[in-house]
Amino acid sequence: MPRLLRAVIWVALSLLGAAAFAILALSRGETVSAAWVVVAAICTYIVAYRFYARFIATRVFGLDAHRATPAERLSNGRDFVPTNKWVLFGHHFAAIAGAGPLVGPVLAAQFGFLPGTLWLVIGVVLGGAVQDFTILCCSVRRNGKSLGQMAKEEINPLAGSTAMLAVLFIMIILLAVLALIVVNALKASPWGLFTIACTIPIALLMGWWMKSWRPGHIGEASLVGAVLLIAALVGGGWVASHPIGAAFTQSGTTLTWMMMVYGFAASVLPVWMLLAPRDYLSTFLKIATILILAVAIMVILPPLRMPALTAFATLGEGPVFAGKFFPFVFITIACGAISGFHALVSSGTTPKMLARETDAPLIGYGGMLMESFVGVMAMIAACTLDPGVYFAMNTTPAALAGAADVLQTAGFVVTPDQMQALAAQVGEQTLVARTGGAPSLAVGIAHIFAGVSSALGGRAATALWYHFAIMFEALFILTTIDAGTRVGRFMLQEIVGHVWPRFGETSWYPSIVASSAVVVAGWGYFLYQGVVDPLGGINSLWPLFGIANQLLAAIALCVGTTILIKMGRARYAWVTLAPLAWIVTITMTAGWQKVFSADPKLGFLSHAASLAGSTDPHAAQRIFNDRLNTFVALLFMAVVALLIVVSIREWWLVLSRRKPATVSEAPYVESRYAA
Amino acid sequence: MPPRDVGRETRDGGRGTGDGARHLPARIARVVRRIIGAPDYEAYLAHCREAGHPPRLSEREYVKEFLDSKGGVRCC
Repeated sequence: MPRLLRAVIWVALSLLGAAAFAILALSRGETVSAAWVVVAAICTYIVAYRFYARFIATRVFGLDAHRATPAERLSNGRDFVPTNKWVLFGHHFAAIAGAGPLVGPVLAAQFGFLPGTLWLVIGVVLGGAVQDFTILCCSVRRNGKSLGQMAKEEINPLAGSTAMLAVLFIMIILLAVLALIVVNALKASPWGLFTIACTIPIALLMGWWMKSWRPGHIGEASLVGAVLLIAALVGGGWVASHPIGAAFTQSGTTLTWMMMVYGFAASVLPVWMLLAPRDYLSTFLKIATILILAVAIMVILPPLRMPALTAFATLGEGPVFAGKFFPFVFITIACGAISGFHALVSSGTTPKMLARETDAPLIGYGGMLMESFVGVMAMIAACTLDPGVYFAMNTTPAALAGAADVLQTAGFVVTPDQMQALAAQVGEQTLVARTGGAPSLAVGIAHIFAGVSSALGGRAATALWYHFAIMFEALFILTTIDAGTRVGRFMLQEIVGHVWPRFGETSWYPSIVASSAVVVAGWGYFLYQGVVDPLGGINSLWPLFGIANQLLAAIALCVGTTILIKMGRARYAWVTLAPLAWIVTITMTAGWQKVFSADPKLGFLSHAASLAGSTDPHAAQRIFNDRLNTFVALLFMAVVALLIVVSIREWWLVLSRRKPATVSEAPYVESRYAA
Repeated sequence: MPPRDVGRETRDGGRGTGDGARHLPARIARVVRRIIGAPDYEAYLAHCREAGHPPRLSEREYVKEFLDSKGGVRCC
């Protein structure tokens, strides 16, 4: 293509994206089509991928197609396997995308669609995708080493052990908050609980099928699993309307115990029995649903009924969670914009499967752009709801009362009859105060899918679509919980193994049981606390999770910056330093406000103080929980402060030539693939 | 160009290697396996052929070893 024509196309794409942003930003009072959100996001992604990802690949890291990757050099047919880049893209995306990018934007929609959408799109191109891509490049040059190992070797051993401990703590908070979302979605919902409960015997059947009956026939087993899953979904509707449904109508606390038993079982049982088949099933469902959702949104381009900005953005009295849009929109939306957890995947299975270094931009940067788009779709789905419905669903009665005036003024009101009609339409007993984001996302998705299915001449089938969406979210959250509990168990075994070697043997049964129990008790405590919290729990746990996840991103970016400086690319260190500075600013601000704010809705300590002398029989427990949350937030902040200080010291030593700039890269080997 | 794109080999141990059209379902199955992170015995066989040693593990042993080592991270 002639150079001029290419230039014209790129300029046109950039202008189109800018115009879409302008239309979104200038919309006031009237509804805007979701088309503009989609156009703005996609144009930004394409331009960023073409220019920024390529800049990082060629100028910053100097990726070389002739340099053999660990997949080629260490090929073993098991974890080190050179893989086609599009296949690896799918694998990587399936590993990084989970409930985070779906739930965060739904919660952040209380500020209006604009702050969250801007952060998703700008945050990903300058922050999240850069982090994933950088860590992937660093790990590929180091035989697929993990983030903790790289922190240890490139910064120092203290940084390495701190990073490892931080990952374990973050994992516990993550599992608690994800479990809370599932509990809130399945509470008093016989249809939902029946469907999800069925996935356990289905997974056991699949496990037996592909392990003992017909070994290796995973496709067959998955197909049978998928058919049974659909049967369970349809069967749930029948169960809900039958007296037997009472057995599946459970309270939040009962569900909490069920989740803990499940997490423990999945961690203790062999992988093939429960964990692996469920993982396969949920990955199929995840990829298929996300693709269908993308097509459905493109086809019907629903109008956004939520305004661009609501009063809560600046008032900071939001009923979904407290705090102003700065810093809380950046904390609430972690996955989708920048997520530290991805650094674990980018330094986990993916670098061991990369066939060529030059495939890294597509997988590291492109994979994260795709996840950001999932976040944008979740934002669209939440904002297509009537704002009155959105706030009624995502707010507990206590919080709703506090925000009633603002909601009245903005016209975000809905009558109890309307809510009841909506609940009946989706086959639920109630939709009021269904916090956690999953139910409102499911209503949004159900409306979009029902719109498509009726446009195609079929039935709207809103109830079926709603429960399909709930199943889709709950299934892969449970997959994260079982895999996460197991990974947490391995970490704990490794950490204790330094002191007591026998405990570190991952196959020693007493150690498996003890470490699984500790990890489950850890997240189970926070989960239980969230379930009994009168404010719904999500308002205190989700920000803690956001802070934790962003702190992990800060650790990853510290490692990336250190490596860039040691590679002699200090002049390009701004690539990771700029997102690092931003992440540290927002997490420290948010952490500080969550702990010390004088507003009892926001600050843990002032909330504890407000409960002092209360007649509430649970006051002592709540005060303890506030103090525990304070401790956790301060701990996370201290860990990051420590890592930053240690890293800056290392940068200074290297830059002032007091220490030789040696990187521990694997030596160069010519690739046999390059010809 | 990396020649070992997944899906090149087939379940019959090489008799139909390279015949994409006739073994399309097998190739699709391999791509899907790799995406979802399931064990892929053909990748192991291909690795052994390339490394020039006979396969050490049977399919059953390979699947067992693969699943036992699985500690993959699933993100939020």
